[in-house]
Amino acid sequence: MPRSKDPSTAPEPLRVMIVDSDPERSRNLRGALTLAGYRVVAELRESIALPDAVQGLKPHIVIVAADSPDRDTLEHISLTTRNAPRPVVMFTQDGGAETIRAAVKAGVSAYVVDGLSPERIRPILEVACARFEAHQALAERLAETERKLAERKAVERAKGLLMQRRGLSEDEAYRELRRLAMQTGKRLGEVAETLLAAAHLL
Amino acid sequence: MSKDIQSPTANPASSEALNPGRREFLRASTALSAAALMSLVPPGVRNAAWASGSDAPEKPEVKIGFIPLTDCASVVIAAEKGFDKKYGIKIVPSKEASWAGVRDKLVNGELDAAHVLYGLIYGLQLGVAGPRKDMAVLMTLNHNGQAITMNNQLRAKGVTDGEGLARLVKAEPKEWTFAQTFPTGTHAMWLYYWMATYGIHPFNDVKVITVPPPQMVANMRVDKMDGYCVGEPWNARAVHDKIGFSALTTQDIWVDHPEKVLGTTLEFVQKYPNTCRAMIAAILDASKYIDTMANRSEVARIISGKAYVNTEFSVIEGRMLGRYDNGLGRTWQDKNYMKFYNDGMVNYPYLSDGMWFLTQHKRWGLLKDHPDYLAVARAVNQIELYKQAAAMTKTPLPKSDLRTSRLIDGTVWDGRNPRAYADGFKIKV
Repeated sequence: MPRSKDPSTAPEPLRVMIVDSDPERSRNLRGALTLAGYRVVAELRESIALPDAVQGLKPHIVIVAADSPDRDTLEHISLTTRNAPRPVVMFTQDGGAETIRAAVKAGVSAYVVDGLSPERIRPILEVACARFEAHQALAERLAETERKLAERKAVERAKGLLMQRRGLSEDEAYRELRRLAMQTGKRLGEVAETLLAAAHLL
Repeated sequence: MSKDIQSPTANPASSEALNPGRREFLRASTALSAAALMSLVPPGVRNAAWASGSDAPEKPEVKIGFIPLTDCASVVIAAEKGFDKKYGIKIVPSKEASWAGVRDKLVNGELDAAHVLYGLIYGLQLGVAGPRKDMAVLMTLNHNGQAITMNNQLRAKGVTDGEGLARLVKAEPKEWTFAQTFPTGTHAMWLYYWMATYGIHPFNDVKVITVPPPQMVANMRVDKMDGYCVGEPWNARAVHDKIGFSALTTQDIWVDHPEKVLGTTLEFVQKYPNTCRAMIAAILDASKYIDTMANRSEVARIISGKAYVNTEFSVIEGRMLGRYDNGLGRTWQDKNYMKFYNDGMVNYPYLSDGMWFLTQHKRWGLLKDHPDYLAVARAVNQIELYKQAAAMTKTPLPKSDLRTSRLIDGTVWDGRNPRAYADGFKIKV
């Protein structure tokens, strides 16, 4: 399977953390994950150690039971550590196919049914990661588009300012901005924004 | 207009055209709303009509999620005392383990509705840090009855209130840790608001973590945090177990503040409006029952059971009756105890209440830009449905969709200029 995050060929296996109060289920899951080529960095039983463990061990994926109260704690962690968010895959007792489909469609998280076999675990984690990456990529693209739009607006306004204050033509104003950008090694948008911010002081 | 000119194949529209009396009636009833008309009918007849006519609940059984907290009482009592049957539905309360779980189950339809944090519904509506989904607030479930607890180490350092904490945080900077229950939820907002009132920046001066309500006490016992904000009975529990004290109640932050709501998805409202109306009516009746103080001890006993809050009856009962003991030797009868009805003042889904959570989400950077406050609140809070259910249950309605409150820092919130209000705080992100 030509996937960049394929744990067997990637230089470093994906780091997985398990949070589960049921020791037997947790142990089985660890076995299955290890067989599938993942590195289980921790098996936590309770939430008390959760924030520290996530910060210290930096797992790529956290697996937590759907009915675990610790999910709220994880929610907060992924909100506050924006640079290193991670998919949370859950398993549930009542994971009917319908429920799982609805959950995935709703963009909640991927569900893994309880008592899963080792050969099933990898495709499920891969789907979860792929979905997560797609979501991240989309979010980044949106942020990039918004930034570009804002920059374009700033450039337009900065040109207008130069034309008005220095009596330049539109072309000349643009060239002036570009010259400044090249001199300072900044993006055109950044130069325009700096100029506009400074203009407020004058 | 005689019958003989009507062809046997006439469609409903043309038969209506031939019957101006009927058309007039239909127009009048739409303008007045069905509920207003129903309020003219004697209650016994009316209930039968709602249940048997076209207003009969489309979905007769509803699964309503709740978290083990005192303020889940009205959902539980509606089912336990059979108020649901009166309106032709069966409420099945479903105990949930986490707010994230409640959110996911609302989104994917495993739960029909839930006892849920006001701010969580608005966070979901705008996709703050998670999935985005069009949501609905059917009614407010309670006012007041949450608190901020501090541990004994703070007490040993002479800190018993916000001012003391502010002094300590400046004098001894370290990772002072405070817990709330969900990033977009009510307890996070009460905690942040209270801290900022005393000049403490909740993100720069202290460390804030999220801990599920029933685990607060256990976490404080092992020194994982210095304080927390949560709903009862988990503050009373800390006093009872002598591991901490109540620094203040949330009614001290905002008298009669909105807290939990009956939340669902907009999709559910559109698909099952009659079921929604019946849910609101049943819970309004239950709220009325709980606010009859003579019933409160019985209510406390019911919700203390294993299936619900699962903690000692005595720990729940005291503060439900307004009897407070802060754990520092002060006891008092609080007139602003947890209210479920208060002549309908509690339950009306005020637009200003909904907008307030948006202003705080903006203030703390959960929302990057100002939303269209009023439009969002109008879309989420189902005022029309609520009014119909209020008519069915003879619940008084307020005059306005906005209400005015003065909060602990002296700031007045009236919902009229949310953008300026959100931007007006000195301490923000």
